[in-house]
Amino acid sequence: MTHALWDRCLERLAAELPPQHYKTWISALRAREGDETLHLYAPNRFVQDWIRTRFLERIQETLETVAPGWQVELCIGNPGDGGEGATRDPTPKRTPPSPAPRQATRPPASRVVVREETPNAMRTNLNPAFTFDSFVQGKSNQMARAASEQVANNPGRSYNPLFIYGGVGLGKTHLMHAIGNQILKERPNARVAYLHSERFVQDMVKALQHNAIDRFKKFYRTLNVLLIDDIQFFAGKERSQEEFFHTFNALLEEQQQVVLTCDRFPKEVNGLEERLKSRFGWGLTVAVEPPELETRVAILLKKAQEMEVELPQEVAFFIAKRIRSNIRELEGALRRVVANARFTGREIDVDFVREALKDLLALQEKLITIDNIQKTVAEYYKIRYTDLLSKKRTRSIARPRQIAMALAKELTNHSLPEIGEAFGGRDHTTVLHACRKVQELREQDARIDEDYRNLLRSLST
Amino acid sequence: MAEQLPLTLALDEQARFENFYPGPNGELVERLRGLAEGETGVLYLWGAPGSGRSHLLQAACHHCSVRGGASLCLDLSSPGEWAPELLDGLEGLDLVCLDESWRLAGKADWERALFHLYNRCRERGTPLVISGDAAPAHSAFQLPDLRSRLGWDWVYRLQPLSDADKAEALVYLAALRGLDLPKETAHYLLRRCPRDMATLRHLLRALDTASLASRRALTIPFVNAFLARNPRWQTQAGLFDAL
Repeated sequence: MTHALWDRCLERLAAELPPQHYKTWISALRAREGDETLHLYAPNRFVQDWIRTRFLERIQETLETVAPGWQVELCIGNPGDGGEGATRDPTPKRTPPSPAPRQATRPPASRVVVREETPNAMRTNLNPAFTFDSFVQGKSNQMARAASEQVANNPGRSYNPLFIYGGVGLGKTHLMHAIGNQILKERPNARVAYLHSERFVQDMVKALQHNAIDRFKKFYRTLNVLLIDDIQFFAGKERSQEEFFHTFNALLEEQQQVVLTCDRFPKEVNGLEERLKSRFGWGLTVAVEPPELETRVAILLKKAQEMEVELPQEVAFFIAKRIRSNIRELEGALRRVVANARFTGREIDVDFVREALKDLLALQEKLITIDNIQKTVAEYYKIRYTDLLSKKRTRSIARPRQIAMALAKELTNHSLPEIGEAFGGRDHTTVLHACRKVQELREQDARIDEDYRNLLRSLST
Repeated sequence: MAEQLPLTLALDEQARFENFYPGPNGELVERLRGLAEGETGVLYLWGAPGSGRSHLLQAACHHCSVRGGASLCLDLSSPGEWAPELLDGLEGLDLVCLDESWRLAGKADWERALFHLYNRCRERGTPLVISGDAAPAHSAFQLPDLRSRLGWDWVYRLQPLSDADKAEALVYLAALRGLDLPKETAHYLLRRCPRDMATLRHLLRALDTASLASRRALTIPFVNAFLARNPRWQTQAGLFDAL
């Protein structure tokens, strides 16, 4: 929204102040005019302080020249949400306006009125697009999805809390929203809240500042479903953990559903109280793994469908084979392809995608090299890098070598002879045998499977 | 040797979309324009120094401002005096641009603040533009959640201009100054002077002044004589002496 008075001030300030100062601080202010006072809203206290100490005098002077007698009032927040309940300056308004010398026009620090955004009213924060229907299931996430559906269909009674953990960008948040959306579909009046752990901390800090901790407690402890994302960010925040602990207990006692996500297994989160870790394990803990190729392809096709774009299957395979780390990156790549196709008016085929994503793909290839795989595997098994390339055939060397070969086949686009060559000049049939052997071992031995998945994760993220 | 000044600070031109020659970066410029006009999304752009990252971020903020929006363009090259709380509440603006984000890498509290700002902007639909020196997966950020999010929405690499593009850019930028720069003169300059766009913009300004003073067109003989009189323009080091 524009305001004539502030716009005129802005014109002058833009001409007078260094552009960098103007763009960093002045253009971030929003204005509201009222009763010979120009209310300027800074986005946060830091900006407010910065403006007050460095620019307020200048702004006041400028305002004096544009509208004599008007005063500046510096607030925090947005004109729309600070209207009621704001702290008004108790000092009487400066009257009458006088052509006072420069110094006198400087508003004393006490003129600064601080307004805070009011705490959020009840809102679910759920993204309606994240449903079970739009979630692509694969081997890597089927357990988490099944548990989430179970919880959504029977909240508070099946698995409580449901703890979903896994690496970044693998769909944990999607599942959480899907649970909330599904519950609201069945029970539109249910009190469901999705929030990032940081929001919980912020709300609590605000509640403490405004002496409204009882309202805060009441809000969280009377929910039917509490969905908290990324609880690893609670680490080290003792007061928040304390409050969350009580909220958590209150909800569980009332058989209200709690769903949590984290980037790792609860016991592995440093800086989290033991009693919280232990309670997180009361319900069900499920992992989400990086998606395998077929799931990545299915995700791309689904996303393309949502964007109303026809994505040929070979193109989806082309992208999915090269971008393996997480779904966010996959989505980002697809978004670029579609935007580029729309911008250039070209048809989406493999050549086009190769060109559109050339920077991204070059980086991927640079990131995962056979050499890199060999070094990572050697380090993982605590053997020497040169052993992998040697003729040694003892099992402690041969197994890691086979695993490294299988990883090289899965993660790079090198041919089998090239991979063999990189492992001390071995034949391509040796590589083929290694890949089959590793597949077989992974099915038989959980430890080898875990080693393989750990290595895959560390190499592709 | 004279102190090396950052070229961008010496520019007398305001950063605008109109005075950025897009070349192969047309799609990126359109996307930024859209964000400055209220489209939602987070855009991470990365590229080499001098490729125009700061110019584009400032241009986006300017574009937002002239449309009546509240925007903030934060140059993070020296965040020493600032605290991560600076990023609180910025999602309430119409556009947030963070330049040189890599300066925050390794500073755990800043990384977390940036991560949370990203989430809040996405949740609220506030356009956020971040410039970096490397692709998200290769950025120096320690927080995996942050790296992964930076690669989620729009990621663009600022493509360097080819010499042919640079010649076009010079002609285009000259035209914006009301100068007629023949293409052959542009190629002539590219063969003899430092070829980064920041230097070329400076050179154009100097040629503008010289051409105005002597009332001569920008022909090859005129430019040749100018460079003979001002040999410093022919080397990067000389340019710094000139500033």
